Amino acid sequence: MRAPDTGPGTRGTRQIGPYTVVTRLDTGSPAHTPVPEHRFIARSADGDRTVLLSSPLATVDPQRFMAEADTSRYLLGSWVLPAVELAAPGEQAWHARPYLPALPLPIALAVHGGPLPERTVRALAIALAENLAVMHGQNLIHAGVSPSAVLIAADGPRLTCFGAVRAAAPDGVARQEVPGLDPGTLPPEQAAGGQPRPLGDVYALGATLAYAATGYTMPEREELPSALRSLVARCLSRDPAQRPQLSEIIDELAGSDRPDIPAGFGPPTRADALLGPGWLPARLVAAIVHQSASVLAAEVELPVQAQAHPAWPVGSAPSQAPVPHHSH
Amino acid sequence: MPTPLIHDDPVALGPYRLIARLGSGGMGTVYVARSSGGRTVALKTMHAAIATDPAARTRFRLEADAARVIGDRFGARVVDADALAETPWLATEYVLGPPLDEAVEAAGPLPEQSVRALGAALCSALGQLHRSDVVHRDLKPSNILVTAYGPKVIDFGIARAIGDDRLTRAGAAVGTPAFMSPEQATGQEHDAGGDVFALAGVLVYAATGHGPFGHGQAADLLYRVRYAEADLSGVPAALAPVLAQCLAKEPGARPTTAYLAAQLHDGKGEFADHLPHELLADIGRRAADVWRLVPQRLPAPVAGPEVMAGTTAAGRRRSRRGVLALGGALAVGAAAGGGAWWWQERTPARGGGGTRTKSSTHRTQNIEPLWTYTVDVVVTAELGAVVPQALGGMIVVPTGGGSQGVSSASGARKWDSYSEESSWQTLVAGGRLYRLSIGEETSDGIGAAVTLQTVDPKNGKTIKTLARFAGTNDELPTHQLLCVTDRVAYVVVGKGKNDGTGAFSVGETDALGAADLETGKLLWSKPLPVRFELSSRLHFLAAKAVGSRLVTLQEVKDGTVRIVVRDASTGAVLWERPYGIDEPDVLRGGIAADSDHLYLGGSRLWALRLSDGAVTWKTSTEHVHGPPVLKAGILYAVGGGVGLTAVDARSGKVLWTERGGEVSEASTAWPPVLGTRYAYYKNGTLLRAISLSSHTTSLTYQTSGRQFYADADAKLVLGVDSQNLTAYPLQ
Repeated sequence: MRAPDTGPGTRGTRQIGPYTVVTRLDTGSPAHTPVPEHRFIARSADGDRTVLLSSPLATVDPQRFMAEADTSRYLLGSWVLPAVELAAPGEQAWHARPYLPALPLPIALAVHGGPLPERTVRALAIALAENLAVMHGQNLIHAGVSPSAVLIAADGPRLTCFGAVRAAAPDGVARQEVPGLDPGTLPPEQAAGGQPRPLGDVYALGATLAYAATGYTMPEREELPSALRSLVARCLSRDPAQRPQLSEIIDELAGSDRPDIPAGFGPPTRADALLGPGWLPARLVAAIVHQSASVLAAEVELPVQAQAHPAWPVGSAPSQAPVPHHSH
Repeated sequence: MPTPLIHDDPVALGPYRLIARLGSGGMGTVYVARSSGGRTVALKTMHAAIATDPAARTRFRLEADAARVIGDRFGARVVDADALAETPWLATEYVLGPPLDEAVEAAGPLPEQSVRALGAALCSALGQLHRSDVVHRDLKPSNILVTAYGPKVIDFGIARAIGDDRLTRAGAAVGTPAFMSPEQATGQEHDAGGDVFALAGVLVYAATGHGPFGHGQAADLLYRVRYAEADLSGVPAALAPVLAQCLAKEPGARPTTAYLAAQLHDGKGEFADHLPHELLADIGRRAADVWRLVPQRLPAPVAGPEVMAGTTAAGRRRSRRGVLALGGALAVGAAAGGGAWWWQERTPARGGGGTRTKSSTHRTQNIEPLWTYTVDVVVTAELGAVVPQALGGMIVVPTGGGSQGVSSASGARKWDSYSEESSWQTLVAGGRLYRLSIGEETSDGIGAAVTLQTVDPKNGKTIKTLARFAGTNDELPTHQLLCVTDRVAYVVVGKGKNDGTGAFSVGETDALGAADLETGKLLWSKPLPVRFELSSRLHFLAAKAVGSRLVTLQEVKDGTVRIVVRDASTGAVLWERPYGIDEPDVLRGGIAADSDHLYLGGSRLWALRLSDGAVTWKTSTEHVHGPPVLKAGILYAVGGGVGLTAVDARSGKVLWTERGGEVSEASTAWPPVLGTRYAYYKNGTLLRAISLSSHTTSLTYQTSGRQFYADADAKLVLGVDSQNLTAYPLQ
């Protein structure tokens, strides 16, 4: 096995587990938005499967990272991406799930040229709140909601980075200024080393929505659209008891968009009512499609042993990491 | 969408492994394929048999050259090609976006700003071709893929260098009549100005859903292209004069692409900003769906199909019905729905009205159907589903201009009716075949009153006219024959002029009425709400007379479906409530009701009391349930990710769910069909027979059907897709 280089800053030209990296997911993300893990779009040796692959930052304990990935396999709901494949014990840490064209929220803001429209933010808010409610119902606390944890796909958001706060530092250890964690989304009680609890997710959700609506996790009150102002402020209360429940967030934002009950074949949730055509600005849809087209067209030089008909004589396989071609 | 490979598709062509089929036609097949480095491409092939003709091979090579000339901004990027291979192939980028005809069918005519942006971009595309001295010669909606970044022009099968006449001899394709230029129609040189003419036709289609010269048989179209004024009805006022200029009969009078581009658009904004939300959402869906593609190959059939071609040429006929203004395009789209976006129109015209294939087998898995009947004239599934009606050993199939009678025993066509006896609105009830049909011709040509008749299933001829609906216009395509009891027929009839722009005409007024079968008198009539003219479905998705009530599922102006229950003797609405679904088409499979209750699918199965609409029960599990079918007090429905589920109609208690089968692809889009031993439903590409006693999959059939009906007399399950009627044994 080649020695993979997963250090930050290097362009993805490597093997991780059985996968060859096609590109990094967060390339182009604004420098000031931390990402709690390395994320890649990668391809299986036979070229048939393309995955979204995550590996831990150098500062993160690989075992804690893998433990969170293992738990995330059981996540329910439409707007999460559970891990479906995990590194074997003893192997370098990584986990993967099928690739879906999607942009991290910070990149979405960069593509859009600024804060997202209110309709988009409301749809994001309700989808994420509904899925967090499902998670809490499973007795799971996300503890990792942040702008970069939210991926924007054409049909709705996908919440990733499950357990990033727990993975970054164990409970009981102060988490201020831990690499990868976004200080703006870290609830004060978790920053102080407290065990993540449901209302911590509410805090992080509030900060993430603030980011979507303004470009900052800690905006000035006036920057927020009036419909979100008091809600986000309450989410960001230092005292967890002052924060709203997820159901309150959903009720306040969904307003009259409640689909008829019973929901029929259509919207099973209130988020679905808001995620119809037009929920995302046109240029973001175009950027997501462009990512899909680029990954479709990407030709990756795959490891020699996987090829039925070796492209070079057996025995002269390159000892360094293979170099992908990006043809455009 | 891509379909699985079939057993004799090659494993690979050149360095590309085949993954799935996108479509095929008379000339070749288009595949999704992958390089060893995982690059996904669209791979177009030419049948080896055709490639034995050196001229065909030359055309293939020229096409690859033309595709390279247009480049990857305005065309599909050419990745690789081998015109010398035994099966010549051309690999291009896999384009994420629907063909324009599919886009217009799915989302309706495009708004003016989309048409303008599309037109300007196509001007640039053509400009680039023309500067390289290439003319396209076959620009049409199905050859234009709409992506988030602009249109891509594909299929240069008959493009050629200006002045190069090496390939104009017999055998070369000559374009598509509906979008052909007058000079092309008369066999003269079609140069850059001809492409401008075709482009304007494409833009008229994009803006209105119809081509500038209508539709119909090639000879009529060619005549109109040469002599008739272009039909610009429905084109936005500001666009009409610009397009009219491009549609001038005299090539010299048409503007250049550069001038036209400037007239159409100022170039501001990005292309995606100008697209309607629905179209963009469709593109986004395609970008995600392509990643769910799993390589799959169908097994070889046991017995080779015996293909029998029909003999009569039903295609010669034209229908007066305005609906076919849509229908002509939809016929193309129906094929394109399978992803055949390259060669779909190259399929040699079928000589006859239909073909059937037959085979026999003793297998229990992937069994071939008993027979397949191919309908030559495709009916607009969007407006009224193609519902086969079975009676007395015959199956009556609605077609574009009439109906055809098919033997239920053999799948052979026995008769073909058209014109004066045409209507797709047929219904079997109480051992009789009813038809809502057009009346006698009138001298002023604005149509006649709609009539209700009984029809002989043996020959399609009218037995007796039961009722005439005075003052109605039979040319409106929006009439419906909802249901017939032993005394009354419930119908939708309309008045007003057919403006030909779509299903519903501006100024049209429709009414729901009950006609006495004995006296022909209209017992009552209730006005229906106005629908927007671009509605793609008729007023009612399903209706059923239950005792003293008429139960209907009605689509209203905002596109939502309402459950409306009326007093059958007066038409008065007893109660109504929203259904709350966003895929109304799944409701076309009928209504499950007994004397007290109406049973519905959705996120749960639920029962409504017929007397007042109150919910009696709901199942406790929440997942998608397809519409249920009721038999002997038990409801059967397909659950998403669950498969076939049987529920006690009285209590809502789940009695059993199917066991042991793969259910991830269970289709919830249609109710199951019930036999005495099995319940049938579609799962992936198979029709499955689930044993009612063991609750496991006993048999599977290959199927392309989308909707399934029972012919209880002939013991058949009838599958219907846009072009085929397929029969399976009903047990």
